[in-house]
Amino acid sequence: MDMNFVTNLLLASVRMATPLIFISLAELYSQRAGLTNIGLEGLATIGSLAGFMVSLLTGSPMLGVLAGLLAGILVNMIFAYATISLCAEQIVYGMAINIFAPALAAFVYRVYFGSGSELVQVKLMNTLSSSVGITPSNFFARLLLDQTFMVYLAYALVVFTAIYFNRTKSGLNYKAVGEYPKAAATLGIDVIRTKYLASIICGALAGMGGAYLTTCYTTTYVDGNVAGRGFIALAAVIFGRWSAGGVLLACLFFGFCDALQIRLQVMSFGLPYQFFQMIPYVATVLVLALIGMKKAGPKSCGKPYRREER
Amino acid sequence: MEEILRMEHITKRFGEFYANRDINLSVLKGEVHTLLGENGAGKSTLMNILFGLYQPSGGQIFLHGKPVAIDSPATAVKLGIGMVHQHFMLVEAMTVFENIILGDRNTKGIFIDRNARRKEILELSERYNLDVELDKPITEIAVGAQQRVEILKALYRGAELLVLDEPTAALTDIEVEGLFRIMKKLVGEGKSIIFISHKMREVMQISDRITILRAGETVRTVERGETTGEELAGLMIGRELAPSHYAKVTKPGAAVVSLHDVDYQKKSKHNGLNGVTLEVGRGEILGIAGVDGNGQSQLAQLVTGVIAPEGGSVDMKGSRVATFSPNGFILENVSHIPEDRNKMGLIGNMSVMENILLKETGDPRFSDAGGWHLKRKAMRTYAEQMQQKYDIRCTSVAQESRNLSGGNQQKVILARELENHPDLLVAVHPTRGLDIGATRFVHDTMISARDAGCGVLLISADFDEILEMSDRIIVIFEGKIMGEYPGSNPPIDQISLAMAGK
Repeated sequence: MDMNFVTNLLLASVRMATPLIFISLAELYSQRAGLTNIGLEGLATIGSLAGFMVSLLTGSPMLGVLAGLLAGILVNMIFAYATISLCAEQIVYGMAINIFAPALAAFVYRVYFGSGSELVQVKLMNTLSSSVGITPSNFFARLLLDQTFMVYLAYALVVFTAIYFNRTKSGLNYKAVGEYPKAAATLGIDVIRTKYLASIICGALAGMGGAYLTTCYTTTYVDGNVAGRGFIALAAVIFGRWSAGGVLLACLFFGFCDALQIRLQVMSFGLPYQFFQMIPYVATVLVLALIGMKKAGPKSCGKPYRREER
Repeated sequence: MEEILRMEHITKRFGEFYANRDINLSVLKGEVHTLLGENGAGKSTLMNILFGLYQPSGGQIFLHGKPVAIDSPATAVKLGIGMVHQHFMLVEAMTVFENIILGDRNTKGIFIDRNARRKEILELSERYNLDVELDKPITEIAVGAQQRVEILKALYRGAELLVLDEPTAALTDIEVEGLFRIMKKLVGEGKSIIFISHKMREVMQISDRITILRAGETVRTVERGETTGEELAGLMIGRELAPSHYAKVTKPGAAVVSLHDVDYQKKSKHNGLNGVTLEVGRGEILGIAGVDGNGQSQLAQLVTGVIAPEGGSVDMKGSRVATFSPNGFILENVSHIPEDRNKMGLIGNMSVMENILLKETGDPRFSDAGGWHLKRKAMRTYAEQMQQKYDIRCTSVAQESRNLSGGNQQKVILARELENHPDLLVAVHPTRGLDIGATRFVHDTMISARDAGCGVLLISADFDEILEMSDRIIVIFEGKIMGEYPGSNPPIDQISLAMAGK
């Protein structure tokens, strides 16, 4: 194993972690307001298709990401209305999003592109280094410069989230909604508004995470391209103990597993490639089993908030 | 004196049910005004309307003589109303400091200015002697301290009128004294307090005026000096209630259960037992007195088979207990009124009928085919008989038990635990949170079980209850037995000292 292998592996880990960071932060914002949204997979899928189509039509991956964000919000409003206004079961509606959104994405794709086997390709987002026209040579320069705008945005969001929840008044109020909405309401915090806001943020970030896959990662859209990242992100939030920094570390770990499995597949060792494909998922299962549920997340997660409950 | 609040003709309906009907209330500046009433009399509903949590179906609220519409707690806070809820509105995952500044709108800026806020809070806490540790998480401070945080929270938001909803329910006597000192200080500084309670002794001690509610309506407002506890109790329940005197049993029957030198986690001061020896005879009530958290929970779990002793032995009806399991004890005919009826006594999402019959499903009266087929009709008939006999007030026996009031929930448990004539009844805080009427019912039922030959182990933190009910009294402190006293003419001073560990 040469140095090049390790360097490439680490660089790939960062790339693979990026969509997970977006999707995990989406879940973090949702759960911090007491909404357990397991529909991330669906939200990311619809974001991925919207990103793909808009970037194909306009030639701009940036507009693609924006489209992914809007599509995510739109679909998540179904979840929001059902669980916040109608007090429906969060797990059921999250599951509904997971069934509905990928089906919708597949349908739109077929209608637009027909069912031919030819894969349509789009241009990917430029990295910082290529847009300014330099070719970084050493590892750290590549790590810092050889990345797309989305990667920088992901890390900026992690920092922002950490500051928001720990240092600001608004962040403290937001967390109170997820912990004890009734107490928050007695202090004049608008619980319903906070929950809708959380759903908008969740839809936007999950949609962007999906759009990353078709604007920065692969040049095509195929059904199932989110490949369980929505569920890995759920695990990352638990593994990351509901904090922005923890979620980042968890995502980097899962990203590393993903990058590793691709490289091992190529090296093959005579084993079927599916064996290596399991790695990120096995890692998820192991992590959840090992860290357990000792410190549960925000207390009101999963419970509907009714205003005049007796 | 200036009138700070007037509520006129307040009505609140939940469906067909009137929680409040045409209620009038007037509160003066600088007074402690008590709202007195049994559970379900509409006190909490009225206060939730005042605080903007519920919208009234009719009526008008005036503050300082001006009509106001309180559409949300935020508005109430702005108008200078602060409320300390019966179930504290504290976020457990946060610190005391964070809880106090939560939802703060008076300060500018996006970020939390910790130093400035701390200074403000500490000034308030000194002025009103509200001693709190700002950096501790809520989970690590005692109930009394949590309550001080709640009061501080209200004052920090500029409350002029404070509502304290059953603030003494969860406090020890010493903590209650502390709370009353704080209340006096607050009214001395010109704040007004609405105090909600149904404990007569406390009401007579702290109130300036008292408004009595019954079944959602105002009965009367009286000055404290013009009334007596007996009169108030009569107004509150709508009939005269003769003071209760149960005859004491001095010669109990053979031992039902006896503990010899029992240890359980004996190093733990609050959750252990250390060399406990005691005996409960047939037809007597043994009262275990003590401040909460001195091993009472463990004692109860031990004599119901939930936990096994780590040292010593337990005899049940003369034979040594070898294995400890709840089912084994149930088969020995031990009944249990657990300390937390919602967590241990009832399955909230199941109906009254199902809760009454939980222990009887194997009985041929209610099932055949070895329990694989339930006789719903027989179960329902039986449950309805129990509903009559124990005066359980519910819409039907099919109603979910979590929707019942505390008193009626306790009656469901009594029906299940006492109907099969137990040999031993373990009752832990059996009347905690119940109103006078329900308390009397529970006590009467326990006394008749005793007279039918049942041995009763009564564990209670309510000293009055221990004195009223017990034929013998044992004091427990830090898992040890401090002494045994007779139930008739008990030496109250000695017992009080023993409860404090002296």
